[in-house]
Amino acid sequence: MEIKLLHQPDNAIAHVTLDAGEEIIAQAGAMVAMSGNINASTTLRKGKGGGIMGGLKRMLAGESLFLSVFRAPLPNSEIWFAPKLMGDLLLYEMRGDEFVVQASSYLASGPNVDIDLGWQGFKSFFSGESIFWLSISGQGPLLVTSFGAIYEVDVDGEYVVDTGHIVAFEKSLSFTVGKANPSWIGAFLGGEGLVCRFRGKGKLYCQTHNPGAFGSLVGSQLPPR
Amino acid sequence: MSQFEFRVENNPSYASLIVTLPPNQTLLVEAGAMAAMDANIEMKSKMRGGLMKGIGRMFSGESLFISEFTARNSAGELYISPGVPGDVTYYHLDGSKGLMVQSSGFVASSPSVDLDTKFQGLKGFFTGESIFFLRASGQGDFWFSSYGAIIEIPVEGDYVVDTGYIVAFEDTLQYNVEMIGGLSFRSLRTGILGGEGLVCRFSGKGKLWVQSRNLFPLLNFLYPFRPVPNNN
Repeated sequence: MEIKLLHQPDNAIAHVTLDAGEEIIAQAGAMVAMSGNINASTTLRKGKGGGIMGGLKRMLAGESLFLSVFRAPLPNSEIWFAPKLMGDLLLYEMRGDEFVVQASSYLASGPNVDIDLGWQGFKSFFSGESIFWLSISGQGPLLVTSFGAIYEVDVDGEYVVDTGHIVAFEKSLSFTVGKANPSWIGAFLGGEGLVCRFRGKGKLYCQTHNPGAFGSLVGSQLPPR
Repeated sequence: MSQFEFRVENNPSYASLIVTLPPNQTLLVEAGAMAAMDANIEMKSKMRGGLMKGIGRMFSGESLFISEFTARNSAGELYISPGVPGDVTYYHLDGSKGLMVQSSGFVASSPSVDLDTKFQGLKGFFTGESIFFLRASGQGDFWFSSYGAIIEIPVEGDYVVDTGYIVAFEDTLQYNVEMIGGLSFRSLRTGILGGEGLVCRFSGKGKLWVQSRNLFPLLNFLYPFRPVPNNN
């Protein structure tokens, strides 16, 4: 499997070349175009977070993380994946360690990458928002998207990020969620709602723009639904 | 190759097309797409092919009204900006084949190009979602635009494209709209637009252009942010 990223950062699109018998898993609707011989299916994946219970968990989480599996019967089959919004792509190679990804940032992954939707790390803090997180493990390539460009932060010690700007982070980092401003009124007025304070050593990936902020800015000006 | 001197700037995200019109030469441009021009360029709004054809365009759900730009006496420069941020691609029509372009993808063409909007959309289209195509034929210059970057795919054999990402294709390609089970999430209500898993299967030999983004997912993303009407 060969993955190439084109038109970064704002119009990033991934070009994947599959060999005969190879498989790639992608989020629903991520496929732009592909060779005519590739088979697509929605079969739930076995393993952690897969299976019927995994699927059920997905439904209960109120999120539409439905996955398509693409299998190439012939060598040199190609497939294109693109994110929904204007933004960048990150190709991350999984090597057995755990990686936490914001659910709407997941785009595609190799067949030996496990996706667990049951990760509750942040959930209690964001009950009002539809952000939920995936715990990714296993081996192989993982494609993650962002709204705006992605920047990598090598955390060694402590680092603070607004929760709306987190794309993904290595689980070697520990974190606490809190407010940016010491006083609650100040936090509210400052618009910096909740921040995540990371500690330890590991890589953190952030996006330059906050999709929630963009959504409320534009969406609030549209006629009521 | 082009009879006009032109350049595309700031692509693929914010492409604009800059064309130099030789004296007394005319260029057809999508109505409303002119951003700036030299003062000696004259603009005329015209429904190409007469009134009836223009009305036909309105019925096809598409407002392909075209403006004619002519440089008077001396050469003039014209800046053209498509409605959505994205890319612009040039295509030379040599008369041997036509080009099918997604209806909102027309940017500009030389007057010798024949633009046919009678085409009723994709064969086998059976849902509410409609894509109409414009057929450009004849000889001359043609420019089309996309939302996001444009990727050129030389098709030989069989290629499948999500209908929302098609920008243009040469009419030497056969096409058929189908639903792929593994891509259909319709019953799961993942969104208000798209998500039906409708794809267009191209076969034969010819060039195909797809875009790196699609407006439907953006609309679906914004939808939940709309205000809820107050019933009190």
